[in-house]
Amino acid sequence: MLEILHRLLFATLDAAPALVFAALGAVLSERAGVVAVGVEGMMRVGAFCAAVAALVMPTPAAVGMGMLAGAALAAVHGFLCIRWRSDQVVSGIALNLVALAGGTFLLETHFGPNGTPPIQQLPPLHWPELASVPLLGALSGHAAPTYLALLLPLLLQGMLTRTPLGLRLRAVGDKPHAVATLGLSVPALRWGAVLGGGLLAGLGGAVLSTTVLDRFEQHTPAGLGFMALAAMVFGRWTPMGAFAAAAFFAFGNALRIGLASSAPGLLELVPQGVLLALPYLLTLLVLTFQGQRNSTPASLGVPYEQESR
Amino acid sequence: MGERTRQALPSVLSVLLSLVVCWMLIAFSRDTDGLATATAAYLQMLWGGVGDWPRFLDGAPITVLTRPLGEAAMKAALLTLTGLSVAVAFKVGLFNIGAQGQMLLGALAAAVVGAHVALPGVLHIPAALLAAALAGGAWAGIAGALKLYRGVHEVISTIMLNWVAVRLVDNWLVVGPLRGVAEAGASITGTAEIHPTATLPRLLGDMSRLNLGFVIATVAAAAVWAWLTRTRSGFETRAVGLGDEAARAAGIPVARRAGLAMALAGALAGLAGAVLVLGTEGRYPGTLGAPYGFDGIAIALIGNNHPLGVGAAALFFGVLRAGGTRMQLLDVHKSFPELIQGLALLFVAGRLIWLAALRRRSAPKPVTAAPPAPTAQVPHA
Repeated sequence: MLEILHRLLFATLDAAPALVFAALGAVLSERAGVVAVGVEGMMRVGAFCAAVAALVMPTPAAVGMGMLAGAALAAVHGFLCIRWRSDQVVSGIALNLVALAGGTFLLETHFGPNGTPPIQQLPPLHWPELASVPLLGALSGHAAPTYLALLLPLLLQGMLTRTPLGLRLRAVGDKPHAVATLGLSVPALRWGAVLGGGLLAGLGGAVLSTTVLDRFEQHTPAGLGFMALAAMVFGRWTPMGAFAAAAFFAFGNALRIGLASSAPGLLELVPQGVLLALPYLLTLLVLTFQGQRNSTPASLGVPYEQESR
Repeated sequence: MGERTRQALPSVLSVLLSLVVCWMLIAFSRDTDGLATATAAYLQMLWGGVGDWPRFLDGAPITVLTRPLGEAAMKAALLTLTGLSVAVAFKVGLFNIGAQGQMLLGALAAAVVGAHVALPGVLHIPAALLAAALAGGAWAGIAGALKLYRGVHEVISTIMLNWVAVRLVDNWLVVGPLRGVAEAGASITGTAEIHPTATLPRLLGDMSRLNLGFVIATVAAAAVWAWLTRTRSGFETRAVGLGDEAARAAGIPVARRAGLAMALAGALAGLAGAVLVLGTEGRYPGTLGAPYGFDGIAIALIGNNHPLGVGAAALFFGVLRAGGTRMQLLDVHKSFPELIQGLALLFVAGRLIWLAALRRRSAPKPVTAAPPAPTAQVPHA
């Protein structure tokens, strides 16, 4: 039993970081009032650029390139939505479509249909003193992003709830005009949140092609960005909540894969497709029954205009 | 500049700009002869969409025209239906990102009725279409109900419903309970093949794959246009989209209009699924593949959410996408037209930039405040 749980935890810790980073990026952007539907596209460019960069530079630096690529796409989003007050959902969808088709074009032009050539994955880190402890031992043997994914939600939560900057970011998503009356720049704060969200989504994509896989594949990230949105909503737009939701989804997925190989009879009763649909169904249920405790940022998706009140 | 021109211009300019940018992309991705390759690839795309006129004029049979045109028309039919789906929801102020899921459910319903119900020809097709429209409408209705009764924003709920539909249909129903039974040990993917009575008849016989689906889409576009502009409920629907407070004050049943528009949006997306299954696929395939539902968002916005604009945008991109397969002759991936379409949507998203630029050009006669972008903003919760 303990052995099984150990393996499940290990698989979860391997698979979850990409989802966690993307969900955190979405939280950061949306708490500042900018819709993050484009996360899927930012993950895709992050994954692509990291995989290509890793062909010519050390993998950790390539991950950085992936983050920058995510931020670059986020900058387009910011330009359209903050500078020009365009519809944020339209912009996000457009970025997803461009990243999807553009990624395919570049992949096919330069590398062919089988994905980019294999690269050096990020190395796993071992903690010998942990490895012998039951369950906690599952913490040992993962690549660096796993540990960052455990740490970053705490930092982001602390930043959002305990620092002046965090207060301002949250306020800019709820009542931007109140922030403006304090003499602070609403666009600057939103730009910061959107670019930060792009860095994180790009990191999520880069992690996919440098730890989970060892290359960029045609379908990356295959909807993971939308699952990150589900985690953000499920976690009520808080970093720790999104982290918990992402970890829960990843654990459920590890459980499903484990069951498929060890107890196929059980999947006769509950088909895999139903299990795969669960994260989205649960998110819908949470939304349906959240009632008065609605935690959507109040000005989410509303372009900020200085003169309008 | 007339008001209509001014409304349509950003879309036209966006598409042109996208064509130019993508042309340069091909040109720069080649080491030699970039410009010539890019131009040749575009020509192949054109001949692949509107028919190979050079070869026809050289004496090739008429099928070199009808086959590509038929493919383009069928792609356009699907894009029209999903584009209308998104546009109708927009008209009432809702952003339907869920056309993909609604189309999936519609396709499945059409496949089930087409394969498992025995009906005479005159009834079978309408029954399958109706089932598809109901399935798509019901799926969209969930999002509509969540919005109206629980205040759940439709952007989030339709994204979630998309994935629920994909997982339940592609990963469960189609590989499980509804999987087609293979004959003589041959393995097939997807659901059972539909009866011939449910197959949409081809309009030009063996000369192309053009089928009744194109007529269905054209009629749908005309009907939506007539409904929005010529009927009271259509007018009320638009009024709700322009401002639900004012509409409510005018005595319009806002909730009913919004709910009905959302259901209609789902029905249109469901019809797209039916046209795909009854017209070209003959069954629900292993996965539905092409994300026509997401394309619908691009088509609706490029078409400025006007039914006729949607039809025009769908025709244009139907031609490009049918021609995409021929670009492979020049080693350009067949999905390239999707990049053109995606970039065009991105440029359309910057509609306010276009309008500002056009306003500057048409000075000194100042134009009043720019119309707001087609927008479905997240309401205050």
